[in-house]
Amino acid sequence: MEFVGPEGLRLDGRRPLEMRQLHAELGVVENANGSAMFEMGNTKVIAAVYGPHEVHNRSQQLWDRALVRCEYSMAAFSTGDRRRKGKGNRRSTEISLVIRQTLEAAILTNLMPKSQIDIYVQVLQADGGTRSACINAAALALAEAGIPMRDLVASCAAGYLNGTPLLDLNYVEDSGGGPDVTVALFPKVDKVSLLQMDSKMPLEHFENVFQLAAEGAKAAARYMREVLMENTQNLARLVTAT
Amino acid sequence: MADDVEVDAFKRLYPAQFLERYLDASVRPDGRPLTRSRPTSVSFNAVSSADGSALVKIGNTTMLAGAKLETMEPAADTPDQGCLSVDFVMPPICSPRVRPGRPAEEAYVITEQLQNALLSSGVVDLRELSIVSGKAAWMIYLDVYCLDADGSLLDAALLASVAALAHLQVPAICVRSEGKITKAPPDAQASSDGIEFTQPRRLNLGEFPFALTVAMNQKSLIADPTAEEEAILDTKMIVILNSSQKIIALHKAGGSTTASTATIQDCLALAMRRRKTLQKVLEEALRKSTK
Repeated sequence: MEFVGPEGLRLDGRRPLEMRQLHAELGVVENANGSAMFEMGNTKVIAAVYGPHEVHNRSQQLWDRALVRCEYSMAAFSTGDRRRKGKGNRRSTEISLVIRQTLEAAILTNLMPKSQIDIYVQVLQADGGTRSACINAAALALAEAGIPMRDLVASCAAGYLNGTPLLDLNYVEDSGGGPDVTVALFPKVDKVSLLQMDSKMPLEHFENVFQLAAEGAKAAARYMREVLMENTQNLARLVTAT
Repeated sequence: MADDVEVDAFKRLYPAQFLERYLDASVRPDGRPLTRSRPTSVSFNAVSSADGSALVKIGNTTMLAGAKLETMEPAADTPDQGCLSVDFVMPPICSPRVRPGRPAEEAYVITEQLQNALLSSGVVDLRELSIVSGKAAWMIYLDVYCLDADGSLLDAALLASVAALAHLQVPAICVRSEGKITKAPPDAQASSDGIEFTQPRRLNLGEFPFALTVAMNQKSLIADPTAEEEAILDTKMIVILNSSQKIIALHKAGGSTTASTATIQDCLALAMRRRKTLQKVLEEALRKSTK
């Protein structure tokens, strides 16, 4: 199958190094301490953060830092075929772990000992890159909840098909049999928190694809920072108006 | 600042008295009169991966309903009928009280009430879902996700379900002579070679059911309670009506307040008023979406 046409355009009309359109909203769940909705093209996820609060299971309490929990689940209507079990299956459990570990590295957990922070992510529409969208949404939700972090984690994925590195694969491209490299990094210090790759790829191409994903993550980080700034400005306006 | 802390402390230590102070003045903590419902909005196409979807907000309570169609073999005793399967989910994002691994009790109760309301109201005529009698029919999977739980969950869930069904687009299919059914390509022409094509269509729905939750204590009725109000006033009554003022369902499950017949009549009156508002909101939203 041809993923990059003769004019150099992909199936959805993008160029190989072009990311999908990003859209984020903060405060979508009033009940939560912090929440965000993040869209990357047709992939749409909601993240909600509850915490820091008292640890529910006393035996799991950590004396010197906060306990971070994460649950990833997919809505039944999120994929092409209806998904009967959106959580508790292997894939969801793996992604929950990945998101938790990525964000735990960013949260200054030793500032909140003996407490618990819950991060819940719900995928509403899945079109490739759900892992990255979830990490981005969770980072925004944590920021909105005011939880102190080392840096704003941002993530993006890239692949390699038809001899070209492609940024931000959608579902069709992801199922194309080529490699899928997901990167999450701390943009300010340029350090990688998460790096995952599946399928096969020649060693000489890895550097390019990895750099591409890292650039994508930095672009996502710039957008996320803009959204947070705007949100803070709106809040400041409300406070000074009253 | 100190006053805020005192009010907050009073609210936490004596929640019942806190609410009573407001109710005695015929108003609620968020400023609403006792019988007014929160602003309600309906929007469509929230989820493009579903065949029909609706996002409903009643105040902060947010419900996302998605309907997906799959083909199935009809049951032997109802060869001309399809099926409607409803599932209501309260994921942990919706409330601090819902923890992963332990579904909220309310989720099961609301699933039951929602399924009963939709099936008994006849809003979907299952015979309309038949494709080939005895061989193939549509199964509608309706999944309702609570994204934010702030009271009156059944009201919002029912509105979201009805809206998603109204928005649902049955896809064009082609039925081959040997009984195989596949989605038709967008430019399919009329029947040839024993292959039948159908057009994409909306469902012909019956009368929409609408719900109103009313919390009560000995002295007053509080329409459309928030989660806070529901927690303090442990008694509530849910009335489900349709457009011809027929009662689809009534739920009152115990609670410390017992209701007289006058109270029930008052609840019904409140529900009738609310139904008119919800019908307008839904019809307006449908009109906007088909433009």
